[in-house]
Amino acid sequence: MSKPKIVFKVALFALVLTLIAVACAPAPTATPVPAPTQPSAATKPAPTVAPTVPPAPKPIDTPSKPVDIEMWAQATSTQAPAPPDDWIGYKVIREKLNINLKYVIIPTGADGETKLNAAAAANALPDFFQAVSTTNARNKIIELTKQGLIAPVDDLLKLMPTRVKTHYNDPAAMDLMKIDGKQMAFVEVPNLPRREGLVIRKDWLDKLGLKSPTTIDELFAVAKAFTEKDPDGNGKNDTYGLGGFFDDTGGPGSRFAFFFGAYGVPDLWDWERMDSNFGLSVRRPEFYKALVEFRKWNEAKVIDPDWATIKRDEFRIRWPQGRYGIMWEDFAALAMAANYPKFDKNFPDGEWAPLPAPKGPDGKAYYGAYGAIGAVFAVSKKAMDAGKGPAIARLLEWMATPEGYYLCGFGVEGVNYLLDKDGVVTTEGLPDPTKAWTHESMARYTQWRNQLIFVNDPKEIKARYPDHKSIKGRTISPMAFYNFFSTQPWLNSKPGQLIVNPPNRADLQRFYNENFQAFALGTKPLNEQTWADFLKALDTNLKANEWEAAARKTLQDAGILKK
Amino acid sequence: MFRLGHRDEWGFQLLVNGFLLLVLIIIVIPLWRVIMTSLTPLDVYMRGGTPMFQWPWEWSFAAYEQMLTHPVFPRATLNSVIITVCGTALSLFLTVPLAYSLSCRTLPGRRIIIALILFTFLFHVGLIPVYLLVAKTLGWTNNILAVIVPPAVGVTNTLVMMRFFEGIPEEIKESARIDGANDLQVLWQIVLPLSKPILLTIGLFYAVHYWNEFFTPILYLNDQKLQPLPVLLRNILIGQTFSEYVDYDVTRAASIESLKSAAVLLTMLPMVLVYPWIQRHFTKGTLLGGVKE
Repeated sequence: MSKPKIVFKVALFALVLTLIAVACAPAPTATPVPAPTQPSAATKPAPTVAPTVPPAPKPIDTPSKPVDIEMWAQATSTQAPAPPDDWIGYKVIREKLNINLKYVIIPTGADGETKLNAAAAANALPDFFQAVSTTNARNKIIELTKQGLIAPVDDLLKLMPTRVKTHYNDPAAMDLMKIDGKQMAFVEVPNLPRREGLVIRKDWLDKLGLKSPTTIDELFAVAKAFTEKDPDGNGKNDTYGLGGFFDDTGGPGSRFAFFFGAYGVPDLWDWERMDSNFGLSVRRPEFYKALVEFRKWNEAKVIDPDWATIKRDEFRIRWPQGRYGIMWEDFAALAMAANYPKFDKNFPDGEWAPLPAPKGPDGKAYYGAYGAIGAVFAVSKKAMDAGKGPAIARLLEWMATPEGYYLCGFGVEGVNYLLDKDGVVTTEGLPDPTKAWTHESMARYTQWRNQLIFVNDPKEIKARYPDHKSIKGRTISPMAFYNFFSTQPWLNSKPGQLIVNPPNRADLQRFYNENFQAFALGTKPLNEQTWADFLKALDTNLKANEWEAAARKTLQDAGILKK
Repeated sequence: MFRLGHRDEWGFQLLVNGFLLLVLIIIVIPLWRVIMTSLTPLDVYMRGGTPMFQWPWEWSFAAYEQMLTHPVFPRATLNSVIITVCGTALSLFLTVPLAYSLSCRTLPGRRIIIALILFTFLFHVGLIPVYLLVAKTLGWTNNILAVIVPPAVGVTNTLVMMRFFEGIPEEIKESARIDGANDLQVLWQIVLPLSKPILLTIGLFYAVHYWNEFFTPILYLNDQKLQPLPVLLRNILIGQTFSEYVDYDVTRAASIESLKSAAVLLTMLPMVLVYPWIQRHFTKGTLLGGVKE
């Protein structure tokens, strides 16, 4: 072998070894230095007026030795990284609370749950973590409790009087995480509940001389007109009365819950009958009637026929293109300044108006069912045994005080936000608008805001969802939509969090969904016999009746159902 | 080249070329669509989706800009490069001696060793035991060894390489031994220079695997400074999907579909660039290694 070749091979080998050595070196330890763009919070007085946050309580006694806390939580903005090591928040937490906080972002969805499960299996759960679950958070907490991996937090609640008032003030939600009388996890404030609703193209109604529908029958007539009478006037048959998609949230799915709500059965579970008849909504004759009506709409082609196959992203491409006259949408996705222009650019004269829950043949009207709870956080038994409990309580309590609330929710006053005369957070008048808390580059500084900080106070909501102007100068108010949607009749499905999923949940869900879609789309005959066969198969093949019996017992034991 | 005058051969060539053209179209059209989607401006997309063709002056690079200007993009790319280079080097470093040893028919217990290796291929141990070993026993949380070492030896790759080595005439190795070379020298000076096709082929397989490594980093690398490119791209895409729900200024010049397509192309790019360079060895490597006489 020639010399240059040997030299080359040796050099290559050395390079690879060097790369391996570099790669395997531990990550550099963070050296806290003040952030150049973030002035020290210590030098600025903390805002004195927080929406509902009472004055800071007497601090819990802090030990002299710093406590290391590892926290796993999802990020509010997954596209943004975690706060940098020199973030002022870490500095304040270290100096004032004597805590070295390490924040690990866990992924959303099944990947996050798998990560958590793997850590649990290895008894390597972090000190404080968000108990993520793609199905049911209570089930996750039951599982971790049985494995002896998490500790009760009753004693910690006593150490955070402020946070109990601001964040843990919903006993129904907190009770969901009580196992054998012990509080096994904290239930944080949920993202705005009842935030989705029914909207209609008011400009189309005006053009066709129609009045706003109030019943399912009127809604059908309007949807038919929107489909057949060229409401956008482009001479093409390219519009549908109703648009939506199947979101697999149980029952008819949240997008069509209003339709089944007109028959009293908007959810997977029958929340109208909180007695010994409680069970799946499909048992009710009203569900069958609703499905027959829904099929009629499909056969009349007034619903976008792709609803069973398209997903949310595709749906949100279609409605700004003017495909639908009526739809069910999230108020922020519909009207926020970041989202509305997609529609506004195409239809400057277009106008969406909220619709009340349409009444069914028996006069019933429900928008849907709401049962979402906030993020669930637990403390590992390992951390509690190591005496870290009080430090975790200290951290949570601080996040509920004005200093922690504003710093972790909005950033630094004067840099990332200002307070107006009413004490509402605003970004108008900031010296550098690119440092506004709403600017995407600042998202990394407020990564916990949806999980641990926000309280849904009116002032806070006003700051989060401000009004804006359309191209034609109309005021678009996301909060007007939210206020309308949230005050419609909804059924409370929160007790559903108590119901433990059956082992064959995936099979049951698949069977349910496939049949629902086949009946609705007309690919399977729908009559009393085929419907009875479907219900029978649910019990004989998938033991749905056993699941219902178990659900009834759980709710009866919890005192929610009458025995 | 066609030999004119032979009607049968003409027909055959036409058939083959027609078929290949069809395959080419089937491959190119989706790729073309991905490229076009990544370049479609937001307003065009919101009006009518992605057109199959756009003039270059209509292209928008907003999706690429958003990806490439992400604050941790350079770090994530570097991490991916380190994982890919080190992982591929380690994999080859371990696979070559293993495959060579197994290719020696005189190796005592050869069949048993091969059976044991095949056993791990057929019966995978699952996530939790591996996690216990890597995170608890070895303590490799936040260490990229956790991403590099566990998949370092691939069973399929080892067997393919073993078959290739078996195909090298024994006489060549024997002549080296007669000249006084030991087994290591035979491997290094005789076998490896003759095995470029298989080294490049298997190296590419390993490199693609490490470059696309996604779930293992999520599992073991808690420190964001260590996260590789696929994890970052996933986070960006999920963030865009969720952003419609949140109170955030996410007004963008690119649609979520453009971002997805740009992410796909950015992830593909390094491998697409490397592939032509080793393509001439690729077929030879897999064919020779995959066939047993």
